[in-house]
Amino acid sequence: MGRSIKKGPHIDEKLLRKVQKMEISKEKKVIKTWARNCTIIPEFVGFTFAVHNGVKHIPVYVSENMVGHKLGEFSHTRVFRGHSSPTDKSTTLT
Amino acid sequence: MVRLAGVDLPANKRVDVALTYIFGIGDSLSQKILTKAQIEPHRKVKDLNDQETLAIREVIKDYQVEGDLRKDITSSIKRLIDIGAYRGTRHRKGLPCRGQRTKTNARTLRGKRKTVGLGKKKEEEKKE
Repeated sequence: MGRSIKKGPHIDEKLLRKVQKMEISKEKKVIKTWARNCTIIPEFVGFTFAVHNGVKHIPVYVSENMVGHKLGEFSHTRVFRGHSSPTDKSTTLT
Repeated sequence: MVRLAGVDLPANKRVDVALTYIFGIGDSLSQKILTKAQIEPHRKVKDLNDQETLAIREVIKDYQVEGDLRKDITSSIKRLIDIGAYRGTRHRKGLPCRGQRTKTNARTLRGKRKTVGLGKKKEEEKKE
C-alpha cells in the first residue's frame, strides 16, 4: 500500500538540510547517510550519497531516473556468492 | 472476422469475453469499453456490424494495449535494471522482486524445478 498523499514523500530532514547547504555553498561532497528510507527528490539529482547497507556506506550517484525511489534501493544489503558445492555428506543417498 | 489492435477476435464468443483476448484488456476493462461503446456485452462478435466495431476501436484507442503496453513494461523493467535498484537486480536474476519468499515456491518466475548439486558429484567421481 502506498503512503498517504497528505503526508507527502518521506524525506530525511537532516539529509535535506545538508543537501541545501551544499547547494548554497556550491561544493560537492559525498554525504554519509543511514537514511535508507529517504525518498529521492529532484533536489538530490547530481549528488553522491554514501548509503549505509548495515556494514559500510555504499556510494550512490543519484541520476534523474532515480527520483521517487528510496535511497536504500541502491545500496544492497545482501551478498549472494553462489551456493556451496555439494559435500560427500549431502550427496550420499540413504 | 474482426481485427482489433492487431488481434483476431474469436467470432463465436461473447463480445466481453472476446475483448479479453487482447493483451492489456481484462474482464473489467472489457466491460468498461463496451459500456462506453454502448454495446451489450452478451452479443456475439460475429453479430457486430461495422459501425459497432468502429465504436469499440475508437474507445480502445484511449488505452494502452498489445505492443505499446509490452514495450512500456519492458522499458520500465529496463529502467529498474539500469539504475541499479534492488528491484532491477531481482528482475535480472529472474526472482520475485516484491519480497516474497524464495526458499520454496516462487515457481512462476523461477520456472521449472532444477536440482542443483548432483551433476557436480559425477565429476568428482571421474577424477578419483
